[in-house]
Amino acid sequence: MDISNYDWGLIWENHGVLLNGLLVALQVSVIALVISIFGGLLLAVMRLSKPPISWIAVAYINVFRGVPALVSVIWVYFGVALLLGVNFTVFQAGVIALSLLYSAFMAEIFRSALGAIPPGHREAGQALGMRGTRIFFSVVLPQAIKIALPNLGSMFIGMVKDTSTFTVIGLLEVVRVTQNLVSQSFQPFVLYTAAAVIYVLAAFVIDIVFRLIEGAYASPPRGAISRVLRSRKRKRIQQLMAEVAA
Amino acid sequence: MSGLNTGEPVSAETAAANQAAPVIQLRGLRKSFGDLEVLRGIDLDVVTGQHVVIFGPSGSGKSTMLRSLNMLEQPTAGSLKVDGVEYGPGLAGETGVRRGKVLDLRRTVGMVFQQFNLFPHLTALDNVALPLRSVRGLKGPAAQLKAAEALRRVGLLQRAAHYPQQLSGGQQQRVAIARALAMDPKVMLFDEPTSALDPELVGEVLKTMREVAETGMTMVVVTHELGFAKEIGDLNVFMEDGLVVESGPRGFFENCVSPRAREFILAVR
Repeated sequence: MDISNYDWGLIWENHGVLLNGLLVALQVSVIALVISIFGGLLLAVMRLSKPPISWIAVAYINVFRGVPALVSVIWVYFGVALLLGVNFTVFQAGVIALSLLYSAFMAEIFRSALGAIPPGHREAGQALGMRGTRIFFSVVLPQAIKIALPNLGSMFIGMVKDTSTFTVIGLLEVVRVTQNLVSQSFQPFVLYTAAAVIYVLAAFVIDIVFRLIEGAYASPPRGAISRVLRSRKRKRIQQLMAEVAA
Repeated sequence: MSGLNTGEPVSAETAAANQAAPVIQLRGLRKSFGDLEVLRGIDLDVVTGQHVVIFGPSGSGKSTMLRSLNMLEQPTAGSLKVDGVEYGPGLAGETGVRRGKVLDLRRTVGMVFQQFNLFPHLTALDNVALPLRSVRGLKGPAAQLKAAEALRRVGLLQRAAHYPQQLSGGQQQRVAIARALAMDPKVMLFDEPTSALDPELVGEVLKTMREVAETGMTMVVVTHELGFAKEIGDLNVFMEDGLVVESGPRGFFENCVSPRAREFILAVR
């Protein structure tokens, strides 16, 4: 096929469906991200607990870190239906498969982040008479999340890319949409190039979003957005300072 | 604060003459880490308003002793009474003692650490306000107001919106002092509060501690700053090898008799 036969116009003609595929991929990934952040945190705390509990977490992490997304989603979609008679939609199966896998990865990220908090901060909380749960949620966790954030960003990019394997159960994400278009137009080079560009751009945007979140979470916060968000708080502190100084 | 406080530091003798019950009482306090016995039976009485200075070579157990006072280290044996309530393992054969919860002990005793241990993700103001909210149960604005007043006491109101990493070591330690003070503790513990500071920043922290002492706050200070110790110490305790070698009132640094204490004082000077 000569280069002149490539119909690049196809991309624009179909940009609606292609972007819709990205939207589906993002929806699955965002829901799975939220679930696996909570799942990962829970597993990390279990992992740092005493033996009977920590073993459960170790077993889970080691099993689910090793399963590829493709295998996982087939297992959730077809296997669970066979075993338990529960029929998930392809969307639900995708969310569950990603959540199962990425909870395991998140657990390791949060474990190292929780371990990076100096023990002195916990001690300071204890010495002030704070309860253990309060120390965890107000002192340890906010710092751990800050440390984990850059890794969460890469995890999320990985999740979006892993949704491409869900084409196997028929989820209408980017690759599935691309395949459908290819079967109509016989222009795989053009369409897969479009798919690749979509993934790269999505990763780029996700990276920027996570950098903004990191900036807002930094102490002191960085960046224009967090400045705007914090301006009210700063004004309140200044007001208080004036009040107390008087 | 007790009625003893007239702005003047209260000496051990006057306090004893007033029959004040000790706010802290240690009897035979022991602590082991595995096979290593770090505290080998400590007796100590601290009365309200008293400023106790604890010094000695490193490894003498002085920090462990101080950390036992709010149960950051759990004593292996012996009695730790604060306000007449037993928090330690207790003494054999002693009956009818009121036993207290660790959480209540820690809400009575404030502590300042060598490494400051401010919460780095919070502003100076929120560092002070967080425990006021979560421990004292103050509402947000009330906690912030009280926190701002505490910062003013240590001269750092203007730094209220700063984060710990934007503050010098001395300023961080003063915020840590404000954080502990704002909880209205009956006793303040200081664990080598100036040891992690650059020399030029030691002065401002000592000045703040002096101001705290002048309010009549009961203080137990582990320090290597013997000049400061001499100045505020109503009761001076020299420790070595997990034991109190010698203790005494003002003038201890000139009048102590044990050879090891004299040696140590000379070496540090």
